[in-house]
Amino acid sequence: MQQAGDQRPDATAFGFLTAVETPAHGCLGGYLLVDVCGRPLEFHCTTPVKVSRAQQILYGAALPAHLHGRQLGAALLAEGTVEPALVLTDIEAMLHVRPHTLLPVALVAAVEPRRPDAVALGAAAIVPPPTAPGGDRWRGALESLAAAVDLHEPFARIRAAIEEAQRH
Amino acid sequence: MEAQPPLAPHTTPSPVRTWSAADLLLPAPRVHRFDPRLPAAAVLSLPVVAARPVVSRVPLLERPPLVRSFRFPQVAALPAPAPRPTARMDPPTARVDRPGAPAAAAVPAAAPLARATRTRIAPPRDVVKLAERFFFLLQPDLETILDTSRLEFPRPPFPFQLDGMAFLVPRHSAVLADEMGLGKSMQAISAIRLLVRSGQARRVLVVCPKGLVSNWARELADWAPELLVAVIEGDPARRRWQWSLADVPVKLANYEVVVRDRDLVAELGLSFDLVALDEAQRIKNRSSQTSQAVRALRRGRSWALTGTPVENSADDIVGLFEFVAPGHLHERMSPRALGAAAADHVLRRTKDRVLKDMPPRLDRDAGVELTSQQRETYRLAEEEGVLRLAGMGREATIQHVFELVLRLKQICNFDTHSGESAKLERLEAELEEVRASGRKALVFSQWVETLGRLRGRLDRFGALEYHGGLSTQARDETIRRFRHDRHHSVLLLSYGAGAVGLNLQFSQYVFLFDRWWNPAVEDQAINRAHRIGAAGAVTVTRFLALDTIEERIDAVLRRKRDLSATILSEAGTPEASGLTVDDLFALFRLTPPTRAAAA
Repeated sequence: MQQAGDQRPDATAFGFLTAVETPAHGCLGGYLLVDVCGRPLEFHCTTPVKVSRAQQILYGAALPAHLHGRQLGAALLAEGTVEPALVLTDIEAMLHVRPHTLLPVALVAAVEPRRPDAVALGAAAIVPPPTAPGGDRWRGALESLAAAVDLHEPFARIRAAIEEAQRH
Repeated sequence: MEAQPPLAPHTTPSPVRTWSAADLLLPAPRVHRFDPRLPAAAVLSLPVVAARPVVSRVPLLERPPLVRSFRFPQVAALPAPAPRPTARMDPPTARVDRPGAPAAAAVPAAAPLARATRTRIAPPRDVVKLAERFFFLLQPDLETILDTSRLEFPRPPFPFQLDGMAFLVPRHSAVLADEMGLGKSMQAISAIRLLVRSGQARRVLVVCPKGLVSNWARELADWAPELLVAVIEGDPARRRWQWSLADVPVKLANYEVVVRDRDLVAELGLSFDLVALDEAQRIKNRSSQTSQAVRALRRGRSWALTGTPVENSADDIVGLFEFVAPGHLHERMSPRALGAAAADHVLRRTKDRVLKDMPPRLDRDAGVELTSQQRETYRLAEEEGVLRLAGMGREATIQHVFELVLRLKQICNFDTHSGESAKLERLEAELEEVRASGRKALVFSQWVETLGRLRGRLDRFGALEYHGGLSTQARDETIRRFRHDRHHSVLLLSYGAGAVGLNLQFSQYVFLFDRWWNPAVEDQAINRAHRIGAAGAVTVTRFLALDTIEERIDAVLRRKRDLSATILSEAGTPEASGLTVDDLFALFRLTPPTRAAAA
């Protein structure tokens, strides 16, 4: 598990964690750290992980959780030098990174259909992380971020960057 | 049923069968023989040890993927915009002089930008490092940056103006070639503001024509009220002090000052993060002192603002690029190749494409019959002139033709003997209507002398003059009076001084008393009034003396305008060809001497 002490805490920084799957390359992860205005601080992206048919069979239903949570998510969160107030992801399977990090990880879900465990925030619905020792210290800063940035939008930036990396 | 008769008795004798002895013998029994021996048993060999099975290894997803990391420069802290400081920096002992600068309170706070638009800052093609491309790709959209930076604008920018900012901000080599009136200076100032506020630029130099320095100071005060600006002007000692100001992010100088202080700038070891040239067509001639002086400036970014990047030939834009991106273009390239090479560096928009809801511009050509006295003077002058040129043969030069054209054009304005002017009579009638409706009008001429004569005759309209013969202060005062005093309905301008940079969108009428050589300059003049902020339709009247040299010139320019759209069409640069030597000689059905000799 990643040690929080490796990173510089920043209560106004937020992480956006997602993955892109392409038939040609497989699955690539991206992790964007932004300040409270949505400006980029750091960006981390993985090399592609291509899952074979045999691996799909072997891992079965556990594959998405393992691939996103342990393989991509944990590797990416370990590289950040900033400890954000909250990590947001738009892929539910990525929430399985929680056992591998001390950072609180929340899901940005669609507003409709509204999930019973989600809370509305700006143009997004947030499935918050389980209450952690740090409590909800991220909540105020996240409201500021949501006032400046559509919380879905940074994921589009990550996907554009990953596409650019593929072309490069 | 009837009874049947009884059957008759059987009388046939019985047959006798006989058997021989052989027939009585039983057949011999068949004997089956069985071999009591068992057949030899077949031996089936079965292997006791089976072949080793093939084992397929399926690697588990255990090893984590490699991660590439990118860290970006931190954006400087963004304080709330402070009240506008001085527009001009003066020595502490000098008088603070802020001509034309509005008070800080006059700049209204703008509402957050409409969120419906999303303008991305895309990395330019010449940015090749992945880290640098990511820096741009991962930025929020421009609207978010402006909102979160708490940058206020006197009025919300149009979407195409946001596109212009997004074009400029990431580029080290850029030509903003929007049609006049679309707000090139505002887009450049806003982009400069973003770069300064984000710490990407600390030393910016804006160079513009002398007559536009006050205008730029005003625009900077309006669109970037928190930026300190030093206007480089005055005597050498003062200019040295102004150039040396280290804590002033934006310096503003005219082209003549840059030429004059070329050695001083080198001596002071000045370098700039950005040099932006307004009316950059001034440097199209690479051998000119102006071009050499601005190209000698040490700089990180080079931006050129011009509505006419191609005035006469493709060489114009090659000259421009010697400043913007030295060596990127050369004159041996075909127009199409030039366009392709310049495309990523040039942004060109026209009003009809981006401002669908801009007030209409109503153009009309006013054909004017010369008065009888004017006609006679004109006829004599042309006949004499043509005869003289023909008599000169190969000695006739372009200068001789030019002088004749000018003389004839002047007669079209005013009869040199009687002072009669058919155009003026028509203009006076038009201006009566303008004044009656409480509107304002601009009148352009290529001659200061004509402006003076017009002023004398248009005094009842409160006519004011604006031309290069006036001091900067006098010109500023003229604009102020024309803008604010309703008794001044008419502003008389020379093409040279009044065609560029001025914002006179409160004027609804433009009269071109005589015609310039190049339609692009005429367009610039018209766009002083027909630009963003214009309250209503702008009516443009071009006076044209019928059956004169003016009509012939107009025909040539119209034809050329249609033909020349090819140059840099890829980059969308404008067509703006003027008259060539051949054109001028052809006005009088003459052949240029060099061609005649060749023939």
